[in-house]
Amino acid sequence: MVRFDTAQGHRLIALFTLGCLAVWTTASAQPDPRDIVERIDRLMRGDSSRGVATMQVVTEHWERQMTMEMWSLGTDYSLVRLRAPAKDAGTATLMAEDDIWNYLPKVDRSIKIPSSMMGGAWMGSHFTNDDLVQDSQLIDLYDVEVAFDGERDGESVWELRLTPKPEAAVVWGHIEFLVGQDDDLPRWARYYNEDGELARTMEYSEVSEFSGRLVPAVMNMQPADKPGERTTIRYEELEFDIDVEQSFFSLRTLQSGR
Amino acid sequence: MGFGATPRQTVERQIALAMSETPWSRIGWRNLGRNRKRTVLTAFGLAVGFFAVVFIVGWTQGLMVEMVESATSLVNGQIEIHDAEYRPDRSIYDTIGGRNGTDVDALLRAIDAEPTVTAAAPRVYTGGLISSGQATSAGMFMGIDPVREMSLSRFLDPLVEGRLPESGRNEVLVGEEMARQLSVGIGDELVVVASGADGSMANDLFTLVGVFRTGLVELDATFAVMAIADLQTLVVLPPERIHEIAVATTDPWIAGATAERLGSVLPPADRPIEVVGWTTLNPAMVEYVALGESMNFVIIIVVFTIAIFGVANTMVMATYERRREFAVMLALGATPGSVRAVVLYEAVALGVFSLVLGAVITFPLMVWFHNAPPDMSWAIADVTLMGALLSPSLRVEYDVLFWIQAAVALFATALLASLIPAWRAARVPPADTLSAL
Repeated sequence: MVRFDTAQGHRLIALFTLGCLAVWTTASAQPDPRDIVERIDRLMRGDSSRGVATMQVVTEHWERQMTMEMWSLGTDYSLVRLRAPAKDAGTATLMAEDDIWNYLPKVDRSIKIPSSMMGGAWMGSHFTNDDLVQDSQLIDLYDVEVAFDGERDGESVWELRLTPKPEAAVVWGHIEFLVGQDDDLPRWARYYNEDGELARTMEYSEVSEFSGRLVPAVMNMQPADKPGERTTIRYEELEFDIDVEQSFFSLRTLQSGR
Repeated sequence: MGFGATPRQTVERQIALAMSETPWSRIGWRNLGRNRKRTVLTAFGLAVGFFAVVFIVGWTQGLMVEMVESATSLVNGQIEIHDAEYRPDRSIYDTIGGRNGTDVDALLRAIDAEPTVTAAAPRVYTGGLISSGQATSAGMFMGIDPVREMSLSRFLDPLVEGRLPESGRNEVLVGEEMARQLSVGIGDELVVVASGADGSMANDLFTLVGVFRTGLVELDATFAVMAIADLQTLVVLPPERIHEIAVATTDPWIAGATAERLGSVLPPADRPIEVVGWTTLNPAMVEYVALGESMNFVIIIVVFTIAIFGVANTMVMATYERRREFAVMLALGATPGSVRAVVLYEAVALGVFSLVLGAVITFPLMVWFHNAPPDMSWAIADVTLMGALLSPSLRVEYDVLFWIQAAVALFATALLASLIPAWRAARVPPADTLSAL
């Protein structure tokens, strides 16, 4: 019914960071999921980034392409600003800790997304506000185990299974990640609802080098119940460990249009 | 015996002839006067029973009528017309007639032409956010045609404050609770954000021009009302794309039939149109009303079952006292049937008297509680039930059929209670009874 949209860049960066976790897990033949989690955590907390990406959203009713610039700091802060199309240019999303704010240039106002709307779609995409915030906190919210370690489709992979901690308020019943052992990059993530049914699938592809790191440049999110719909994000630029202060992730920056 | 040769039937006929001048009914009626206190008390028992069932049922029906009325005229119509796909997801894209929309004016004309239709109003709905300063609420936006809407739904009349939105000026009304949560007053600017039908992030500033109160907390906290054209502009829908036409008819209970007729006369559209009455949209309420009606009989049975013992007690006493009288009647040649008839006529007379008494007690109160029901809001807050708002008044509804049923039940009670005493009176042994003098 209500399909309002919020900020998304954090999720991208968070998911992306999950991709990077593989880099850290290569050494161990018997991967310890706790160890992986801690390394992700360390990695994500220490990380900052800036990137430019295009987001293509295909729905039953319309198709849109947006260009956005995004910054992140650790797991708690990120800022995404639309650069195109012209109608929406300047629209921006700030995630600071658990809050999400949207800036609307047309009315020159920032509005905070109420908690009841965190399940709403971000910018009409197949991402929700909630999984932005929650994906940056996967390790706090989920228990991780290696569900599979071996060959699949001629490739050595780990399958990680993320199960919500008992007290965690999350929307997914569980999440599965498939990580390649050779390149330590994610192949896909599958999100299951509480009944154990597949709700959506994220696929990572086109591994490319950005700032000396190999990362998937394309992420494709597909809802299970609408086969014709998808949201595809393609990184055009991506740099890591940039010089950015926490003060950058403020309402002032959000409203400045920078 | 001197009568030995006389055929018994002849005597009976003679007595019957004699008695027809002063029929059993008169004897029965007169017997009521033998112990007036007792008769009045018994009659009061029945009369209060009659009053109780008529009043309780009248009040229940008053609640039902109010519930149905509230559910079908406060915000919703008695009939809703949608795209066949609209319910239950209520997607912004499922407009009447599909992607190309429909000729709204032609549709409204066709609906208005239906004789039982009293009002029809087009609506556009979408969800979104509404924000003022630091405060933001999730909202359901409702685009209305103010003139048509006022003849259909009640929730905008009267307003808590302010006025209706004017088209083309980005004016909005919100519920009382939303106004409180957003800390806004008339004249304040609100940011309205929604998903555009083209996928864009629709947003604009609206001016708050009015505050409404439905009494349904959820509605008052989430609904924001604007002119239909302004909402269409906001979410990038052309004027011919609307989500709903709400329709009112002369009587909620003909809505289903009217919906069926409308379904067959509406102009054809690209996609199937669904015309549904509230009885389909809110089956729980229909069941609840049916349950209430079946309760009527439970109430009748309970009340008159209690009454039956009181009346039976009286009749047993009254007939026991008159054993000698019955013995004399029988000794004089009255048949047992006549004696039974006397007692039963007495019961009928008691019934008539009770009914008159009951009517005298009941109907002035019914008229009072129907036309000027006491307002109980000082004691009980408004109640929300299945999406309907019930005000705590004790308004009763008239139901002549039920009154007749209650009157029949009253007579049945009096007669049933008299059956055993009547049979026993007819079997009084004349010689033994009289010799016991």
